[in-house]
Amino acid sequence: MDTRRQVSLFFAFVLAVILLTGSSYAIPAFSRQYGTSCTTCHIDFPKLNDFGKAFKDAGFKFPKDDETFIKIPPVMLGAPAQKDMWPHTVFPGTIPGLPAIGLRFNQFFQYTSGNANNYNIAGQSTGPYIPRTDFQPGYFSIFTAGNFGSDIAFWVDDDISVSGANANGSLGDGYLRFVNVSRFFKLPTDSLTLKVGQFELDLPFTQARAYDISPYDIYSQANIGAVDPAYPQQFVNNSFTLAGPGRGIELSGGHHYGGYRYAIAIVDQNTSNSAPTNYPNVPAPAGGAGYFSDSNFKDLYGRFAYRFNLERDPTSRHEVQAAGATGPRDHTYLTLGSYYFYGRSVQRTAGFLPDGTTPTVLLAREPFYRVGGDFDFNYRQFNIYGLYMYGHDKDILPFTPTDFAGPTGFISGSPATFSGGFIQADYMAYPWLMMIMRWDRVQSRADFLNEAGSTNFFSPVGSTRNRFTPGAQFLIHANVKASFEYAYRPQQALTYNLNGQPMNVFRTNTATGALEFVY
Amino acid sequence: MKRTLMMMMAVVAMMSLAASAGTISGKVSGVAGESVVYVEAPAGKTFPAPTEQPVIDQKGLMFQPHIVVVQVGTTVEFLNSDSVAHNVFWPSVGGNKKLTHNLGTWPKGEKRPFKFDNPGAVPLLCNVHPEMSGYVVVSPTPYFTKTDKSGEYKIENIPDGSYTVTAWHEGAKNQSKPVAVAGDSKADFTLSK
Repeated sequence: MDTRRQVSLFFAFVLAVILLTGSSYAIPAFSRQYGTSCTTCHIDFPKLNDFGKAFKDAGFKFPKDDETFIKIPPVMLGAPAQKDMWPHTVFPGTIPGLPAIGLRFNQFFQYTSGNANNYNIAGQSTGPYIPRTDFQPGYFSIFTAGNFGSDIAFWVDDDISVSGANANGSLGDGYLRFVNVSRFFKLPTDSLTLKVGQFELDLPFTQARAYDISPYDIYSQANIGAVDPAYPQQFVNNSFTLAGPGRGIELSGGHHYGGYRYAIAIVDQNTSNSAPTNYPNVPAPAGGAGYFSDSNFKDLYGRFAYRFNLERDPTSRHEVQAAGATGPRDHTYLTLGSYYFYGRSVQRTAGFLPDGTTPTVLLAREPFYRVGGDFDFNYRQFNIYGLYMYGHDKDILPFTPTDFAGPTGFISGSPATFSGGFIQADYMAYPWLMMIMRWDRVQSRADFLNEAGSTNFFSPVGSTRNRFTPGAQFLIHANVKASFEYAYRPQQALTYNLNGQPMNVFRTNTATGALEFVY
Repeated sequence: MKRTLMMMMAVVAMMSLAASAGTISGKVSGVAGESVVYVEAPAGKTFPAPTEQPVIDQKGLMFQPHIVVVQVGTTVEFLNSDSVAHNVFWPSVGGNKKLTHNLGTWPKGEKRPFKFDNPGAVPLLCNVHPEMSGYVVVSPTPYFTKTDKSGEYKIENIPDGSYTVTAWHEGAKNQSKPVAVAGDSKADFTLSK
């Protein structure tokens, strides 16, 4: 095990708990503004209930009569009657009466399987020691959100401190959302909304605001191809993952709490990657040319879903929340959806013009797409949902004609593909206790081919990655939560004997506890 | 002649009644804001239920008014004036958890009645907005009142006699005192959380 690999392994281990955990946000600023509890909008923060979904859809406002619920009046940026003077005056808006700021901190404790140190390979250099237990500070984050009047909503969140170090976080989402612009075009209410900025794509299930400790594996799956003479070459180094934010615009419509919902986003293509030194089977770009973002082509994302509220009473069926015998509750519903992402991964490599002698940088824009479907079923306190994804990168290989010193163009190779998804079931045993069971699966041939070079301790090296993750989350208060999960992963190995049998097998099962609070 | 005689008898009766009715006044201290003071029912004594039906509104994610005092047997109407769904439930009546009840869900503008047949404080809650809080204080007699914000109170038209008077305040321990009513009587309370 070389030094680079040791360092990478240790680094991956120490930060995995933190960096692999999803950022999650509840909005204390709204609690202050409306004088209401987190549980008005959240089941188990940041998981939204139906009312929270409607609140978000409406642009961080109560869906009806918002002004009657606000306990801290907004500051008027112009009298409402100024509207009549427009365009001879600035159109009046509002800002929240209190700075709409929320803060969040979390910390983790992790226990790792005892045989994890079998990762060290006998006879080679000593690998890093992997502690059985580990305490880690997590995120200290700030987020602000609200509405400026005229149905213009805003959101910014930023991780101020990650893993106990100052100012080394990054911007999460930051956008303006122009809600219900459909009214300007005489279209049905809420059929068209415009979002501009940096934002998480309208994924079937959010990763940025997920409530699980560990993220969905499929959302963080990049498509790193493999170049191995024994297998079809895959000249793919596409770091795009659905978990990453997009920068651009999004048109959307419909509601998350019932009926149709669509989103179409045009975002900067997001395949920038450094030289793929972590994947030694992928050749480093020659001549200083690498794999970088090319914003000339914008990636496209589309999603359509329909949620069937299954209440018998038609009135209740169309309300934001269903009318239960003992109070309002989330609907019994079934949501079916699909999504599609199309982009082009830029490849540049040193080569020659067709004359075979004039050096140049060859460029290819390699098409890739991610496509899948999802479902979400809710009955009272039980919620089960899942997602399937198929990833496909075309794989354009540099082509070197006979007797040429380098490539002069590209030819199509064997597509680099992967597939997978997850299924998760949540059960609210009590309003403060949620039990979770999740299954993640990722199948990637490229991952398998790259196994010998992999330094990702938490990613099994086989072509299929399975993970069962039972968990529980406890609301100590509406804004203070203790979470626990146990990730059960398959046995894996880095080396095989001559008979192809694995050596130094180990598991990377991890038990993780987390404490977080927002205020 | 007969009519005059009857009128005289009525006047005498009213005068005698007035002469036997007194007041209890005083101050509730140790707590801030409105408190409730009511007279416990003498043994074996019952009072007819009033026909008036007070309304408690759910408006702006609040119970309005926050505290309502009623006599046992009163029907209270619960109104939802909000454009969000609410419910009303209480975990106990007078601390008796067996009397928990949930009124369910009803839409904006509609009312749902409930008759309170057991005395004691009824903490009103909404199971989707846990910060919402209200109280129905069910008095066993028609002799009750809310204090003003300084804690002063006065209960009038109490027949002379010996009673137990109870003071209630949100979040504080009840305090009861024996009071002999004969004309104007005084009873001060010091409550603590």
